[in-house]
Formats: sequence, structure tokens, C-alpha cells
Amino acid sequence: MSLFEALLVLPPPPPRYTIPVAYAAGAANGMAVPVVETNNIITHPEGGCPLQVGEGTYILKDDLLLATPPPHPSEAPIINPNPLATVPSPPTAGVKVSLVSLDPRKKPPTFLKTAVTAPPFGDGNAALAAPAPPAKDANKRRKPKNNIIKSSSSFVSRVITHETSAKRLNDRDPNGVFAFANINRAFQWLDLNSTQKEEHLTKVLFTKAHMLCHDINESTKTSSHLDIVMGSSAGDIIWYEPMSQKYARINKNGVINNSPVTHIKWLPGSENLFLASHANGVLVVYDKEKEDALFTPEPAGHPEKNRTRLPLEILKSVNSKNQKTNPVSLWKLANQKVSHFSFSPDQRHLAVVLEDGSLRLMDYLKEEVLDIFRSYYGGLICVCWSPDGKYIVTGGQDDLVTIWSFPERKIVARCQGHNSWVSAVAFDPWRCDQKTYRFGSVGDDCRLLLWDFSVGMLHRPRAHHQTTARHRSSLIVPGTQTSNRHRADSGGNRLRSDSDRTEKFDGDLDPMASHPVEPRARTALLPPIMSKIVGEDPTCWLGFQKDCIMTSSLEGHIRTWERPNDSVV
Amino acid sequence: MKGLFLPRRSNGTPTNPSPATPPKKDPQMPQISPLEKRLQDMGPLRGDGSDKFYGMENYGNTCYCNSILQCLYYSVPFREAVINYPQRTPVESLEAALAKNLRYQNPNAHLEAEAQAAKQKAAAPASSARQAGVPPNQPQKPEDKDSPEYKKKVALQTLPLMETKNNAASYGIQSRIGVIRPQQFLDVLRREHEMFRTAMHQDAHEFLNLLLNEVVSNVEAEATKQAFSEKALPPPPSDSADSLGLLTASTGSKSPNTTRWVHELFEGTLTSETKCLTCEKVSQRDEVFLDLSVDLEQHSSVTSCLRKFSAEEMLCERNKFHCDNCGGLQEAEKRMKIKRLPRVLALHLKRFKYTEDLQRLQKLFHRVVYPYHLRLFNTSDDAEDPDRLYELYAVVVHIGGGPYHGHYVAIIKTEDRGWLLFDDELVEPVDKNYVRNFFGDRPGLACAYVLFYQETTLEAVMREQAQEDQASTAAAAEAGDIGRSNGHPASPNNLVQVHSASYVPSEDPNRFTPISKMTTAPQLEPHHEHPESDSSSQQPVQPAQPQPPLPAIPDDPPPRLSPKKSDVQSKKEKAREEKERRAAEKERERNEKARRKELGLHQQMDARREADELRRAIEASKADAADLGPENGSPRKSSSLSFLRRSSRSLSHRLSKDKEPRMSTSDLVPTPVPEAPAKEAEPEQPPVPLTDTPGLSNPKMPSRVLVPPPPPIPKDTKDTKNEKTGQTHRWRSLSFKKASS
Repeated sequence: MSLFEALLVLPPPPPRYTIPVAYAAGAANGMAVPVVETNNIITHPEGGCPLQVGEGTYILKDDLLLATPPPHPSEAPIINPNPLATVPSPPTAGVKVSLVSLDPRKKPPTFLKTAVTAPPFGDGNAALAAPAPPAKDANKRRKPKNNIIKSSSSFVSRVITHETSAKRLNDRDPNGVFAFANINRAFQWLDLNSTQKEEHLTKVLFTKAHMLCHDINESTKTSSHLDIVMGSSAGDIIWYEPMSQKYARINKNGVINNSPVTHIKWLPGSENLFLASHANGVLVVYDKEKEDALFTPEPAGHPEKNRTRLPLEILKSVNSKNQKTNPVSLWKLANQKVSHFSFSPDQRHLAVVLEDGSLRLMDYLKEEVLDIFRSYYGGLICVCWSPDGKYIVTGGQDDLVTIWSFPERKIVARCQGHNSWVSAVAFDPWRCDQKTYRFGSVGDDCRLLLWDFSVGMLHRPRAHHQTTARHRSSLIVPGTQTSNRHRADSGGNRLRSDSDRTEKFDGDLDPMASHPVEPRARTALLPPIMSKIVGEDPTCWLGFQKDCIMTSSLEGHIRTWERPNDSVV
Repeated sequence: MKGLFLPRRSNGTPTNPSPATPPKKDPQMPQISPLEKRLQDMGPLRGDGSDKFYGMENYGNTCYCNSILQCLYYSVPFREAVINYPQRTPVESLEAALAKNLRYQNPNAHLEAEAQAAKQKAAAPASSARQAGVPPNQPQKPEDKDSPEYKKKVALQTLPLMETKNNAASYGIQSRIGVIRPQQFLDVLRREHEMFRTAMHQDAHEFLNLLLNEVVSNVEAEATKQAFSEKALPPPPSDSADSLGLLTASTGSKSPNTTRWVHELFEGTLTSETKCLTCEKVSQRDEVFLDLSVDLEQHSSVTSCLRKFSAEEMLCERNKFHCDNCGGLQEAEKRMKIKRLPRVLALHLKRFKYTEDLQRLQKLFHRVVYPYHLRLFNTSDDAEDPDRLYELYAVVVHIGGGPYHGHYVAIIKTEDRGWLLFDDELVEPVDKNYVRNFFGDRPGLACAYVLFYQETTLEAVMREQAQEDQASTAAAAEAGDIGRSNGHPASPNNLVQVHSASYVPSEDPNRFTPISKMTTAPQLEPHHEHPESDSSSQQPVQPAQPQPPLPAIPDDPPPRLSPKKSDVQSKKEKAREEKERRAAEKERERNEKARRKELGLHQQMDARREADELRRAIEASKADAADLGPENGSPRKSSSLSFLRRSSRSLSHRLSKDKEPRMSTSDLVPTPVPEAPAKEAEPEQPPVPLTDTPGLSNPKMPSRVLVPPPPPIPKDTKDTKNEKTGQTHRWRSLSFKKASS
């Protein structure tokens, strides 16, 4: 006993954290951070990482490693990180890539049976429609006001343009693909068809905020104009036009919402409006042309809507008469982070996934939540629509990719194959037809998985079968319109009977709309057709192009696989 | 820090003997700690320990112990079980016992204490002494105020200390925050287990395993002991092998039924299916587990690790399978699946791996992600409730480069105050996202090592999420940070949200809803012998006893044991409380001190007598059981909490024949029991195991005795209420007697 006592008297042990130097230099998210500005590196792995599937073998063409920028000089280097520090670390989502090509041949095939007839967002609101000054000339787009190169903003640290960028732009294949990618506090503009594709055309360095997401407006792109919006970890949004190096700030200093922007997308078909999701569970529609203003919630002007019916708080409706300033509309879904969202091909619906594990289907034109589904467990991270709009695919923290039927409003199958969280899902429209679908998924397990499913196959385990007629009903929308406040006007784009709708008016959550979790035993399970570890760090983005599959990873590897010959019609 | 603390204490419990902490600090109370901030608006102290947030002193690499104990403490069912373990002795008896000899009685006490520690104590005296020397204001120092070391020092210097050695004094502490000094617990641990004797770094998972097993064996040993000897005498504490056992040291709990509560919580069943590749015959073998140790892979998830755990394994070469069917060693395929899901799933991530090259254990810094919620994919086909939903409630984090050194901390989701970081003496609120900093890929060598998932339901999860929303909105309104957002409720920033998660009305009976849900799980319900049940049954008794303490209610801060029940039944109790209080006050005055002393001496003897009485009573009750029959159903209904029901059932099991009487008693009793009595008895001690036997039996007795014939339920309840005062007296005395003997 005396010995013990002696031990007890001993002074406390030496400092508890022994931190290797290697770690000390690490950024908050575990990436090695260089001290000086470095260049992108491209490698061509020999025979590396073939993806073998039925149609042939996808060969890894190259692996472009984006240079992680050094910390901004104003940031104190982290010498001895306290692993228990309670200071929240900045959110990160890894490298995301936005691709744009002017070549119409590279457009993905569409499977919609009819032309998109969705009305523009906010149609019928005179206040909103008014300001649209006629674009004089299609090629003469309005540009943002400020020159980013000469910017004196403390938000932008500096801009590095390639010495020969002007020449490169002139000489390039006009139908080539541009890529925009964020890494850490840098935002790079790359020309993927260039022979020196690893050399950026422009690199914008921000001071503190990191860009987390970005999107290019498909309807305004020309050879001399690209509208890009990007959302940052500070909540600020940048509208950037790379050709002229002009930019504008929206939600400056988080005046409208100071929570990080988790995803951003131009409204389909709109030249000015884009939708941003914030980490505090808010979806905001902004107009790139409008000024910010302090945001005051506008109490619901829609008495006919029962707010408790489904969790959507309309803090500002698109129908508000007050449309001189941003935001155009602002909806609060929950207090949980909105992880991702995706617009349906028919441009009427929106699928939103949240950290609380819910998948919410919205008719965003009417500002309504239609259905809520739940993950098997854990948060949902990513979502996308099949090219024909019939299916929605999500990925989440249950390591599952889940297929949902939009017309039937139910789960179709759970896809098991990832060894960690699923960070991105995407359909391959070039491998889809009316009956079979190809999609891919990537995850924190560094894997790329490809999946095939066909209607017949999926439904084998379960009794119900969808009918084509039903599908159509979701896609063909009879002249919907305007006074879309009225549910009665909602036309045939919903499957539910009117009785269901009326039911929605009273009481709490619509039992029809909030779907329970299906037990494992009753749900079809789909295996992948291909699973491959593609790198050594978590993969966070996946894109399908006509001639290739691309992925990007947390540390900045952008990998490109060429499709097997003739695999795409 | 004290600023907050003092007022509270004074309000709550004037009677505390412990001198109020000297208010040395600035009156203005310049700074309140983040924890205090989060604890604001908590309302009065609850008795069940759910609102106590105590750090634990580190005696040199004892963080493995501190972090595990904290995790167990905040497992609601575990804490309830410990607190309700049959015996608790009133303070006096405890003191008497201490005086007598047992140094080691405390050991048990420690565990419990700490369990309880959290609950009550604010060892005022100690703190005052310490404080005197220390400059009260923490923040003035030049030192890095943000360093954990500094914060810990401040915590030790400024917060009330709970000494496990001096239970009587310590348990009077009313503070919600403080520091526990688990030295005695460690003494016992070290005495009994050579492995932990050195001041070296220990493995937290091994400790968890040892602790749970020790509790199981102690509880069982105690049950057996009691079965044989009816004596209520406390076993010589120092020598008893069970010293480690939290609960056991005290006099036995008598019911064997209670012995399985650890199993009920942590135990699951694995079934290994082995398919002989020669004869194709599949053989199954079941084995139970208290936790699962899973191998890790780089860039994987807990889900995936669990799946791998159940992946097929080939038994071949040197590792062939002996097939009974074909006779002889054969190649075979083996799979381990979970057949019975535990209520609390403890997952041990095997971060320490033996490497041949180095000839030693090496720490794996694999990135292994863990979700806040989980379901198990690797269940067997015949598993019950294979889609059970679990929620992450605690993470033990290992910080350091290897298995032989480093530090452990625990990050725990409390019932209604959100996530807290327990780093030895330091307790700090953290953001919900903070929990995700320990996947293993961050700088700083900190990785999750043991994950505790507890069962929950989707409804509970959704309700909690909804509450987070509300809370955050509310918080946003207040918070300055939101200024930017224009005060718009929708735009609270992330941080705010996180904190908000914790919001829950303190007195809300719903607090426990998760628990009740848990109970609903198929396994639980049926139950049998939860210790809890015992406790619940006992509690009723205690309430009666404690009257002397009751008066104290206003001043007596130490409402621990009873509080739990009270929490459960809070509504009913409140009304009753008042009545009881008045009665109690009168009694209290009379009895108070004189009684304590006297009783303390006589308690033990009485306890024996009581035991005899109990036996008789039980028998009688059995006889009566047939009559009572009708009552059974109704009492249950009355009890709001599921565990009460369980307990009642368990009682019935014990008695086997007379379920009904007991049930009625248990139900009735608890409700009537005023908190006060419980407080007194309990305060000192859950840790003190001495009295037990009587406790269990008592509940029955009283019911019988007091309530003449068990009338239909409704009647009973009424009767009991009316009779409360009378009952309480009796009970109280009984309990005291027991304890004293």
C-alpha cells in the first residue's frame, strides 16, 4: 500500500500531448499544407486503376493534383494544435468541380418526354418580373461590377493569372471543357482540353473564407461570358465572371445569412436567380443583380397554408411584393444543415437532403414540401435525380446509396457497397435509357462504385410495380401556372388524390407525406457492378462526361477515366 | 464561477452543514464558465443526478478511469440502476459505518459516489479551504487561459470538491458543478487489481470491461451472500472481494433478481454460425458480450467495421474446425452475427494493434467515421428488432501517439444539456459537431477509442431534432452573434444551433421519455430483475423513513436517490410533496440530530429484526397474493415510467408468488414518497451498500402492513396518500433501523 500511496503522491505526468512535427503543420482538416504557393501536378498513372464493367474498361487517363495554397499570412500558423480545442473548425467539403462546355454535342442526353414547361420561379409576381431589363444582345451579358484583380477587398487575397492566359484562351478549342475547382482558400480555373491542363488559367485566393461550392449558369454561357456563383464557408457568395475577371459580392458579410453555404445552384432556366443552401437549414434564392439588404422575416402571407403541416417556414416568399433587394425568397427547412439539393429535370421539383437524415421533396415553384423520407440512419449527404426524373438517389452516413421512386413516393432499393459515408452520387446519362439506369457514387472510403438498375430488376423483391402512366403524370404538367398559391391549381403533377391534399390542411404532419423508415427485411438490396479504390484520400465529387468519368478528392486529386470505345452512343 | 454557484446553493439548501463556499470572488462574477452558462435556467436541482456535472480529479494517469466512469454515469439506465441499487444507507448509518472501521467501504462508494458524485455533493468545506489560498478570479492570469491545464487548475481551485472519503460531508453538496476526487475508488481498484496498480497509462476499454464484469460479479456475489445469510450486517468492507464493485460492498441487496441489470443494459448475444465445408452442416453457438471490439480499416466507418466483424471467415489450415458431424478437423466457414441486440452498445475500436515488425502495440490512426445514429446490419435472421436504432451518446477519446502513454477524455451527450467534454477536472460544453473531430484524421493524435451507442427510437430522434430547432431559435434571439442575421430567427449561426440542442425543460417529465422507450424494447419489458425495480420498490419505503430528512427538503439539498423516482413521478409527487413536507418538518425537528446518532447505533440490530419481519411479511403476502390479484394491473398503469413497472415486476419475480401485493406497494409507495425522505437516506449514499436487504423486503412489508388489504388499485393509491404521513414515519424508521443494525 505504501507503494501505492507513493505513486499517488507523484506529480502528474508530463504534458500529455506529444505532437509530431508533421502533424503540427497540418491544416485543421488533416491535410498537409505547404508553406509557399505551389503548382498543380499532373500524373499519368500507367495502367493504374482500370474500372472494369460490362461495357468495357475505363482507363485512368490522368490524375491532376491541385496545389493546396499556403495559409494566408494573417493566419497564425498552428504550431501545437490542441486536439481538444473547442473552437469550431471551418467547414470543408473537399474539392468540388464545376464543368462547362460550349459544345452542344457534349450535352447529356435528355429523357424527358416533353419539353420543359415549368414556369419561371416567381412567375406572376409583378414585383419580381419587372426589373428584367431586356438583354440587348445575347452576347452582351451584364457583368459584375468589380475587377477582381484590382480588388482592394479584404475578402479577396490575390489573383494569380497565368502569364499566357490570354493567348491560351484565344487558341483553345472553343468546344473544350473548362473546369472550376475549389481547394482550401483557392479557386482555380482550368482548361481541361489544353495540353497544359495542369496550369490554371486563373487562380483566385481568398483571405479567410473557403469556397465550398460553385455553379455555372448553363443558360447564359457564351464564349466570352460565364456566370459563376460560389458559396463560402463564411456565408458570403461571389458572383464571378472569369473572362472579364469581374466579380460581385452577395450576402456580403453574411448580412442575409451568415451560415456557411453548403451548396449552390442556378435556378434551371434562370439568368439571374440562384438557390443557395446554408448550414443552418435555410434555403435562399438570391438574384445576382440585386443588392443585399438586412433581412427581416416576412410573416407568412399565406393564411391558407398551415405551417405546421410540413416543416417549411417561408420567411420570405417569392411572391412577396418587396423584391427590390435580396433575398428573393428564404425558406427555413430545419435547424439542421442542408447538405445538398438537386433540381429535377422537369425543373419543377427540388430534392433536398439534410444532416438530420431527411430527404425532402419540394415543389419549389409553389414553395411547398411534398414528402419527407428518412435515411436508414444518420445524415444524408448527397442527392441527384435520374435523367428522366423518375428516380432520386441519395447517399449518406449509413454507408448506403438509396434509390427512391419519385412518382410512387417510396423507397425502391438500398445499395450496399461503400465502406464509409457516401459523399456524392451522379447518374451517367450516357448509360441510361428508358429501362435501365447507370449511376455512380463516391465516398469517404476513397472508392468509386458504379451501379446498374433496371425497373424490372429493382421490383423483383417487392410486389408493387410502377406504371408508365404514372411516370408521365409526374412529367407532363398541364399548363400549370401563376396563381400557384392555390393548391387546386397544382394540376396533375402530383400523384396524390385530392382527398389526400385536403387531409394535408388539417392537423400536423401529413401522414402521407412523412414516410417512415422501411425495415431492412422489406427493402430490396442492390449490389454494385463495380467497386474500386481510386485514391488514398476520401473522394468527394463525381461527374460523368460524354467521354469520361471524373472524380475529385479531399486533398485535390482530380482523376479522369476515359470511357471504353463506343461505350457511348 | 462561484457567483452562480453560490446563489443557487443558498436558495436550494440553506441547511447544508457545509459552509457556503467562501465568496471570495468578485461579487460581480466577472466571468461565468461556459458550463455554467449552459446550466443556466436549469431550475431546482433534480434528485436523480441527471443535472450534476462534475469533473474528476486525475491522480496521475487515471484519466482512463475518469472517462469511463463519466460515460457510465451519463448512461441514464445505468445510473438509475446504480442509484436504485437496493441499499442505500442513510447518512447517519454511513457515518457510523465509517466510524466503525471500514475504510474500504468507500471504495464502493467511490464508484457510486462518482456516479452519484455527479449528483450531489459539493464538498463545500474542502473547496472553501482550497479557495482561501487561491485567487478567485480565474481569468486574470497571464497563462494561456484556453489551455486545458489552466482550466483544470481553475476548476480544482474554484469548484466545490467532492471527497469520496468523507461521504457524509460530501453528499450534502448541492452544487451542480464541482470536482470529484475518486481516490478511494482508485485505492480499491488498485488493491484488487494488480494491473492498475502502477501509475502507468492504462487501457480505457480494458477498464470498462473489468468494471462491468466486476459489478456483475459483485452484485451476484452479494445476492448469493444474502441468500444465505439474512443478516443485514454489512460485510467487512475492507476485505470483501467485492470492494471494487460499486454496489456490492454494502450489505446485501437481497434479491437475486437484481443481479442482472448490467446484463440487461450491456449484454447482447452473438451467434457464430459455422458451416462445415465437408458435410455442409451448420452449427451454431451463442455467446454473450458486454461490448464489441472491432478491427479498423483505413477510411472506413463504424458501420463497415461492424459488417467486417460479421464477415465470413474461413477456418482452414492450422485453424480448422472440429466438426461433430463428420468428426475431425474440417475446413469451415464461420460468421458471427448479433442475435440479441444490447440496449447500450459499447463499441471498442481496436486502435492498438500488435505489429510484428516493432514487436509491440502500435496505435492506428485510421480515419474511422462514426454517425450520430446507427443500426446494425450484422444481425442474425432470427434477431429480435433487427432494425433497432441507436444513438451515439458518449465517445471516449484517446489522445497520444501510442498505447503506452497519452490521455483519455470523454465527450458525452447529456440528457438535456447537450454535449459536454469531460477532461478530468474540466467539464466544458461543446458543439455537437465537435464530436466529429475524432475520426482519426485530425492533427493532435486524438481518436475515438470507445463509442457508446444507446437504443432510441426514430420518434425520439425527431423530437430531439425539433427541440434543437426551437432551442436554437430561442438562443438566436438572445445571442449577440446573430446580430448579423438581423435577429431573424431563421438565421442563427451554426454554433448557436449546436448549443441549443441541449435545451430541455428541466422539470419536464418527458425528460425521461427516451428511457421509457428503451424500456419498451422487447427485452426489457419482460423483465425481471432489474436492480432498478428493487430500488423503485425500496424507494417507496425510504420516503417514509426519511422524514427527518424531509423537513430538510427546502434546505436539504441532497435529494438524490429519491429524486429519481420523484423525477419519474414528478407530477404526482409534487402535489404530495407539499403535504409531506409539512409533516416531515414537524417530525424532522423532533428527530433530527438525536435520532441520527441513536439510530445509527441501533440500526443494524433493527435491520436484522426487520429482515425477519420482512420474511414473515413476504410469506404473508404470498398468502395474500391471491386476494390481491386484481391490483396488479392497475398499479402499473399508474406508474408513468416504464421502469417502475419493471421494477415492480422484478419484485414480483423475486417473491415469485406475491407479485401483486408488491406491485401495488411499489407503485403506491413511490408516488407518495416525498422527495425529502429519499433525499436524506439517499444522499449519503448510494455508495453505501450496507443496508440493503431490508430495503427490498421493506417495501413489501409496508405495503402489506400499511395498506391492510390490498384494495383495488385506485383505492390503494388514495389510501396510501392519506396514510402517507403515517407510513412515512414507519418506513423511515424501518429504514433507519436497517441501516443502523
